[in-house]
Amino acid sequence: MSVTALIALAILVMLAGGFYAGRSRAIQAVAGNTVRLHSLPNYHGYYVAIWTGLPALLLLVAHGLFADKVVENLTYAELRRDAAALNAQLDEALSTDTVYEALRADAVQLRGRADSIASDLERLRSATGEDRDPERMEALDSQRLDALNAVTSADEAVLDRRMELVDGVAAAAREAGAPVRALAGFELTQAPRERRQLFLADTLNIAHGELPSRESRELVAAASIATRHQNQLRYLIGAMALVVAVAGLWRTRSQVEPAFRARNHVESLVTALLLFSSVIAILTTVGIVFSLLFESLRFFSTVPVSEFLFGLQWSPQIALRADQVGQSGAFGAVPLFAGTALITLIAMVVAVPIGLLAAVYLSEYAGPRFRATAKPLLEILAGIPTVVYGFFALLTVGPFIRGLFSWLGFEDVVTQSALSAGLVMGIMIIPFISSLSDDVINSVPQTLRDGSYAMGATRSETISHVVLPAALPGIVGAVLLGVSRAVGETMIVVMAAGQGANLTANPLESVTTITVQIVMLLTGDQEFDSPKTLSAFALGLVLFVVTLIMNVVALRVVQRYREKYD
Amino acid sequence: MVNPMPDNQSHPDMSAGAGQAELPIKVQARDVCVSYSGKQALNHVSIDVPDRSVTAFIGPSGCGKSTFLRCLNRMNDTIEGAKVVGSLKIDGLEVNDKSVDPVVLRANVGMVFQKPNPFPKSIYDNVAYGPRIHGLALSKDELDAIVEDSLKKAGLWDEVADRLNHPGTGLSGGQQQRLVIARAIAVNPEVILMDEPCSALDPIATAKIEELIDELRENYCIIIVTHSMQQAARVSQQTAFFHMGNLVEYGTTEEIFTNPRDPRTQDYITGRFG
Amino acid sequence: MTDTADIPKLRQAISDHLPRRYRAEMRFRVAGLSAVGLAVAILVLLVGSIVMQAIPAFTVNQLVLPVRLESDLVDPQGDGSEASLRRGSYGRVLQEAVREQFPGVRDRRQLRTLFTLYTALNSTRLMDEVLADPGLVGETHTFRMPIADDLDLYLKGRLVQDRTLETAGRLTVAEAGRDFELTSSAADFEGLRDTVSNLLRAEAASLDTRAEQARNRAEGQTGEDREDSLYEAGRLSADADALRAEAELESGWVELSDTLPSILVETGETHLRLTALSADGRSARAESLLGDETGSELADWSLYVIDTPEARRRVSDQLIVWTRALVDRGLVSLDFNTALFANADSREPELAGVKGALFGSILTMLITLTLSVPVGVFTALYLEEYAPKNRFTDLIEVNINNLAAVPSIVFGLLGLAVFINSFGLPRSAPLVGGLVLSLMTLPTVIIATRAALKAVPVSIRQAALAVGASKTQTVFHHVLPLAAPGILTGSIIGLAQAMGETAPLLMIGMVAFIADAPTLGLEGLTQPATVMPVQVFLWSDGAERAFEARTAAAILVLLALMIGFNALAIYLRRRFERRW
Repeated sequence: MSVTALIALAILVMLAGGFYAGRSRAIQAVAGNTVRLHSLPNYHGYYVAIWTGLPALLLLVAHGLFADKVVENLTYAELRRDAAALNAQLDEALSTDTVYEALRADAVQLRGRADSIASDLERLRSATGEDRDPERMEALDSQRLDALNAVTSADEAVLDRRMELVDGVAAAAREAGAPVRALAGFELTQAPRERRQLFLADTLNIAHGELPSRESRELVAAASIATRHQNQLRYLIGAMALVVAVAGLWRTRSQVEPAFRARNHVESLVTALLLFSSVIAILTTVGIVFSLLFESLRFFSTVPVSEFLFGLQWSPQIALRADQVGQSGAFGAVPLFAGTALITLIAMVVAVPIGLLAAVYLSEYAGPRFRATAKPLLEILAGIPTVVYGFFALLTVGPFIRGLFSWLGFEDVVTQSALSAGLVMGIMIIPFISSLSDDVINSVPQTLRDGSYAMGATRSETISHVVLPAALPGIVGAVLLGVSRAVGETMIVVMAAGQGANLTANPLESVTTITVQIVMLLTGDQEFDSPKTLSAFALGLVLFVVTLIMNVVALRVVQRYREKYD
Repeated sequence: MVNPMPDNQSHPDMSAGAGQAELPIKVQARDVCVSYSGKQALNHVSIDVPDRSVTAFIGPSGCGKSTFLRCLNRMNDTIEGAKVVGSLKIDGLEVNDKSVDPVVLRANVGMVFQKPNPFPKSIYDNVAYGPRIHGLALSKDELDAIVEDSLKKAGLWDEVADRLNHPGTGLSGGQQQRLVIARAIAVNPEVILMDEPCSALDPIATAKIEELIDELRENYCIIIVTHSMQQAARVSQQTAFFHMGNLVEYGTTEEIFTNPRDPRTQDYITGRFG
Repeated sequence: MTDTADIPKLRQAISDHLPRRYRAEMRFRVAGLSAVGLAVAILVLLVGSIVMQAIPAFTVNQLVLPVRLESDLVDPQGDGSEASLRRGSYGRVLQEAVREQFPGVRDRRQLRTLFTLYTALNSTRLMDEVLADPGLVGETHTFRMPIADDLDLYLKGRLVQDRTLETAGRLTVAEAGRDFELTSSAADFEGLRDTVSNLLRAEAASLDTRAEQARNRAEGQTGEDREDSLYEAGRLSADADALRAEAELESGWVELSDTLPSILVETGETHLRLTALSADGRSARAESLLGDETGSELADWSLYVIDTPEARRRVSDQLIVWTRALVDRGLVSLDFNTALFANADSREPELAGVKGALFGSILTMLITLTLSVPVGVFTALYLEEYAPKNRFTDLIEVNINNLAAVPSIVFGLLGLAVFINSFGLPRSAPLVGGLVLSLMTLPTVIIATRAALKAVPVSIRQAALAVGASKTQTVFHHVLPLAAPGILTGSIIGLAQAMGETAPLLMIGMVAFIADAPTLGLEGLTQPATVMPVQVFLWSDGAERAFEARTAAAILVLLALMIGFNALAIYLRRRFERRW
């Protein structure tokens, strides 16, 4: 049993003891005549127990959540100190190595050239009239690409040379019998970013007694440092938790007396807990906004916002390495926006008429028995997981559409088309539209219907001339919520719409959407901090903002509408 | 079918009396019973309502007066579980007969409700609604004429002539109610039913509506349900008193208010219950 | 218009319009009814198609083979210890058992094909059986293992189009070098000859069409493109002519290539594949796929035709013949597919099951339940019972309503950025999945709880307050118990929703292939896992066709769970429903 678990158990015991102590002291204080107490004895018990256990347990939870991060940072700092001498040696070697200097100078020069070509190109692009020479622009563009490639290979050469020197210093130090810890620190500080993460993760794994991805002397040495820090932290926190618990018990127990308002204290704690719970919803939104914003800003530091929002080409896959210059792929998101819009449009063309007509029929025509059967069926349609719809689109609707259209004489119809994804998404949204519209239609006051019937209008005339116009704002709200849902829907499009970033209005082609690209960019192998990964967050931000606006507007509209007839 | 000439003894007061004899009978009811999902709401009501006059139905809440009113244009059809039996004739034509289309019937029998219920459309479209759905106007000019005429008859023209395109829901309560009346008379009905038309209005608006009702009497058979005995006394020529689903007493308004025959009528009029 | 004389005219106008109005009414009504009907029909189609696709996944054809567990193979150290048994060559044991069935197969390449009758992963299962009962060592053990997924589909008739033809004549089989020559006393091969000719003609016609298209294309082209198109057209036409010549052949042999149906002659244990048909349909040439018996005037023989050409299917004639031989010997039995429920995911469809995903779902749901329900209920309590009406609570309200409509994938991004990248929690873990789904479910629980709290009449609160209960006592002793059924129902529906959610879990890496089910316990919370809907997503992407049926089966399991949840919610609502 680990120390932490023991301490947790001890605190739990103290908590129970605290309850008993508070309760019995309260009873004792009034010599058993509990009517004289301001609060029931149990409240005194709760009060003592809460202040005994809660802060200490929170401390332990925080330790559990953040211990690894802290240990990692401490270990890293210590290893870096150990490697200070070797790092200095490397700096020395780097500054005296002529090859390295020469390579660096080359790289700087090449970058300068690339920059100047780029700025020429920019000038040419913004020029008007005769100066705007397309042939020259094309030539410059290919020159720019060549230059960027040259920069990339120069950078690589610099890095290679640097690694050679690093290896040299490490080998020399090993020969000279340098301490393993220094070597470990050197390896860690000189490794590229993602290797550094892996090194630390392995270190912690060894320290935890779990399997690392590889084993080496350096790792074991680093792990021993990590273990030391881990133990120190554990004992420190454990001791603090015990102190806090004891102090809480001692302090609150002495407060117990007949006139003590234990109930009020406990209740205000309960209220605080409730308030804290409702803050979580806010924190979620804040978390969403900040994480999206933060990562997106990092993305926009490499790719300009204008290119992202208005660029016509999307091919993020080319990003090979985070530190490459000219290889950051194309991040023009317009094809994604267009694809999303196309599929959403198809979905709404399916869902709005069917959903609305179904709602009208169910609320204005259908008898109670029909309604009682049909409504749950529609609700089932609403409860089916979207991945099931995706499967349906992929294996039933897609092949059917391809068969149908090749029978009609269209060539090269693909299974994963905007049409099949849109159709199935429309089906998914039908119950959503119909149940929202049903609510809206039902809240149109009966007096309006009566007025129309009394004029001699038929049902359909009443519905289309009076009920629907009256319900229009609410229906618009429902449709907006449906659109927002279609825009944010992921699984159907991932499975059925394909991945080709085509800028097309042809529903028989495969298109891609914002959500599909987020999934593509963030599943499978990914490196953090590359524009490729970060662009997913930028797309997420767009998605969030767009759906948020639609939701706010829709909810406003619906609420206004409700207030109008309530 | 119910006997067109029922036993006079069980219905001693189905006609409002000799004083009104010169006016032709517009609405004739014999043994009308209404039940909602098996619950009896109206018991064997027989009554003759004369044309070109105002007949008021009075009585405490839930006495069946509104139910009876809704039989006259078959609005009870729209309520699930409502059942109407008995004979109800307008101009000698059986209202509940299968061959009678409620759509046609309602064009002939207009109705004004307790709460003003203008459609969420412009003032013009509200009044033009009936003529449009029934296809009564062949041209835009004709429709304009109907709208103007109806608004004038409802005494609203002068107030809204310059804003016919404004939404009808933007008018004041009294104006809305007069708009609804204009909407009803735009299809030229012969009978107008009014279900407590002033209960949601302030005294000034009420006075205007009452004035309007009095003017409309010239051309229409008006039946008004009201809670206010003063109103009944002011606007109506005949008054019928309903109580617990029964028509208790029916006669000229003067007679009912000065010399009620039934003790229940007397109690109600003197304010002992209701 | 006030003229009373107009009234009959007006009534007439109204009547004149009636038929048109009633037709419009009818149309409208029919449109509404068809909308409802369409939605219901789609539901039936959706569920029906999934059930139809799932049916083959619930059974599996198993090879039931006698396996000799030679002690030198399975117990290399000879001491019968677990360590020794774990190092046995169970793969070899299985290979020997299959070879025993087909001793004639010696060629290395053929042997490799033979061993694709089953997946090598079965050796682990055999090891487990031996470990469970070490007494088996040295014995002959009857081992059941699922046949390869494609052969399973073949046996279920879902992979190829095939038919067995009646034969009338007596068959003579004569050896002709390495091949055989077959003659029948009746015209048994004639029908086949016609079939082949028709196919050849159809193929030629389609080549002609393509040649025509190439020529048309050439019209609009110039230079090299034009040359290319014309060349292609010429080549296609020549091919078509060759095929037609073959089809109309009067004498000699028509070769059967792998783009034509496979025709097998089965007599006793011998299976021959036709390589050529004589033009007169009297005789045929064949090669042996199994056995090499010859004879004359054989009465008991049959023709087995696989209309799907070998080039267009995933299993060769050879594997099909072996499988048919095993079926004839009674070594294949159709069993209930227990692997589907007892196993975790696998690369081999015949061994893949939903257990891992099911456990992952359970763990994830436990986290979601323990987090979202209390926090959601507390939030609702605060907003409904405690919160003062001010801008802050308005903000929370608006915020919750908006959160309910935020796309689920955004919650996944939040989980990735905050829980994994910032807090350093493990990827692919039910813990993180549960956290993300909790945040997603929270608004649903809050909204449902608030509705339930609103439904508790004010009079109950006033009664409690009037006898001197504090606010908190009123809420916790009186309001909350009365609202509990509504809260429960709302929470269950929210959880069911969360259980079907896929997209946010893809973001936090619950989409990896995981061959072991997570432990059902605290430590399972941080083990890599996947959940049911993600499993559906993963399988739907699987290359093997057998995954198609398994995906549908997994969907049925998922739907069953969700229907169960919802039925529970409905039951609870009915049971405890209270009206004031």
